[in-house]
Amino acid sequence: MIRPPQTATGVWRTLKQAAAIAGTTLTEAIQQPVALLILLAAVLMTLLSPVFQFHRFSEDGRLARDSGLACMLVFGLVLAAGTAGRSVADEIARGTAAAAIGKPVSRVTFVLAKWLGIFGVVALFWCGVLAATLLAERCSAHFLTLEDFSGYATDPWTLVSSFLGVALALAAAAAGHYWRRRRFGVGAFAGVALSQVAVAAVSGFYNRFGQLYPLHGEAACSGCGGEHAHAAAGLVWYHPELNLRVLPVALLVLFALAIFAALATALATRLQTGAALAVCAGVLILGLAGDAFTAGATALSLRGLLAGVLPDVQHFWLCDAVARGGRVAWSYVAEAGAYAATCCAICLTAGCLAFQDRDLG
Amino acid sequence: MESAKVIETLGLRKTFRDFWRRPVVEAVKGLDFSVRQGEVFGLLGPNGSGKSTTIKMLLGLLHPTAGEIRVLGAAPSDTRVKARIGYLPEVSHLHPFLTPRETLMYYASLFGMSHGVAARRTAELLTMVDLAHAADRAVGRFSKGMARRVGVAQALVNAPELLILDEPTSGLDPLGCREVKDLVRLLARNGVTVLMTSHLLADVEDVCDRVAILDRGVLRAEGQIADLLRKPDAVRFLVEGLSEEEASALRRELEARAGCRVQQDFPAMSLEAFFLQVVAQDGRLRTFEMAPFLQAEHVPGKGPA
Repeated sequence: MIRPPQTATGVWRTLKQAAAIAGTTLTEAIQQPVALLILLAAVLMTLLSPVFQFHRFSEDGRLARDSGLACMLVFGLVLAAGTAGRSVADEIARGTAAAAIGKPVSRVTFVLAKWLGIFGVVALFWCGVLAATLLAERCSAHFLTLEDFSGYATDPWTLVSSFLGVALALAAAAAGHYWRRRRFGVGAFAGVALSQVAVAAVSGFYNRFGQLYPLHGEAACSGCGGEHAHAAAGLVWYHPELNLRVLPVALLVLFALAIFAALATALATRLQTGAALAVCAGVLILGLAGDAFTAGATALSLRGLLAGVLPDVQHFWLCDAVARGGRVAWSYVAEAGAYAATCCAICLTAGCLAFQDRDLG
Repeated sequence: MESAKVIETLGLRKTFRDFWRRPVVEAVKGLDFSVRQGEVFGLLGPNGSGKSTTIKMLLGLLHPTAGEIRVLGAAPSDTRVKARIGYLPEVSHLHPFLTPRETLMYYASLFGMSHGVAARRTAELLTMVDLAHAADRAVGRFSKGMARRVGVAQALVNAPELLILDEPTSGLDPLGCREVKDLVRLLARNGVTVLMTSHLLADVEDVCDRVAILDRGVLRAEGQIADLLRKPDAVRFLVEGLSEEEASALRRELEARAGCRVQQDFPAMSLEAFFLQVVAQDGRLRTFEMAPFLQAEHVPGKGPA
């Protein structure tokens, strides 16, 4: 039977336990070489998309953006399912889960904390890939018509900075491991993700021709082809020449990854990593193709049942909405967040129930 | 007056089942036993006798098929009860990328300890298990014996009232074994109840007050070690300083008086005692010191048994 914490002290202790388990899960997960490889693959594939220009129908930016978001979803799904498998299924098999449950930790706390830790890994990955996506779109060829320039312009400075950021993060992690005996995996994973965020932030201080933005006056923006968040007059402190309309779309992808992390955590209480990954991939495909086979289905049919049970992943994949200047309304993001929270709650409840009766030998 | 029962099982059964819920093996078959406060109780038995299964049921890790368990007066799944138990599993299940310091801090935080208390206890325990020098190395690279020491330390991080040790000396060298046995004796003297399993019968004999012997899930014998091992119709004399001829003459005299055969031998020290004596010569045998927070005067409500 699932029992809630009974006292305020109990609640505080439960929160401390959850934080400890989640923190350990996060540290262990990003320490794994495969987690770093997944992040590197996603970031580098995203950053390389503006380098290899397959076509140029004035949609280079869109190609880079869509590639980045696709990497975010697919690699994020693999990362979530793999991390859940290692930190739940493998821990049950290895005995570290039993060691934790042997302490005053309820099984519900354990499952929820594991999900929190896995979601933490996914969120860190998401930050890195989102920044790489914004940078890749900025670096891809844009057609500009300026006073002294007309034609396609790329942004080699930012692109080089992005790759340099990755290389520096890996080098710093290696140096920290060699001289300070710090964990390479943790330093490299966090470093690669944060390096992209840092490059994205720094790139807001120069335009795609490498000219620094003066920190005052709207007129100073004349050489810039991107979108600016500058004041109407007076001090201009920052010019993010990044397509920030991608942010709500990426947030929707993060919601989808949260659902997959919850689903993978629930499955990992009973299944091994491979099986959990296969089920997650199936749910992704069926969720994306949901409209195709549930159209016109009655509530009592198998197709109707599937439509009701499976999370509709299409709600979280709105790349096309930001094409040609489009925007995703924040109200839609909020509604999708509530839908994702509901899906997560259902998956985690199922996971807690499945884990409650599980023998930990 | 009899001390209170810390562990009590009644008709305990455990049947493991396969994916289709078909019974595969009945590991424990109607086990009844109890452990009283302050005693050191040994659970013995060959491989597959149900010792570890019983321990895991006592900790709420396995669900009994039938029967009843009371641990510290409550069901084993009760987290308030688990807060008073220390558990050392058969294999020290540790997170390989964490250091011993991080491992102990992690387990301390599972008991809801503040950072300051957890850090102090961690430092004391690392000194106690002689791992202070390796406190910041990943445990994944430790030898089995060193990992075992981390396991012993994590079992004590909450200053438990009940300590459950599954094969505590497994993987330890003779020095480590001696230290664990010293630890168990010291803890028992401080009022801690200890339940331990071991394949090494000499270890159990050294530290346990009472034992139960399991075989294929059934309790075969239970009682005080002294009572179980005593030969009621035999007497042994230990005489020092006799030559071989004098000893033989004495034996013949005794045989003539008692009218039965008298066995004569020359007692030797155990190999463990000899090993420790040899090792002590180069000063490697350290004096075992229990962590201050585990000592009776530092634990409210806990005193010598």
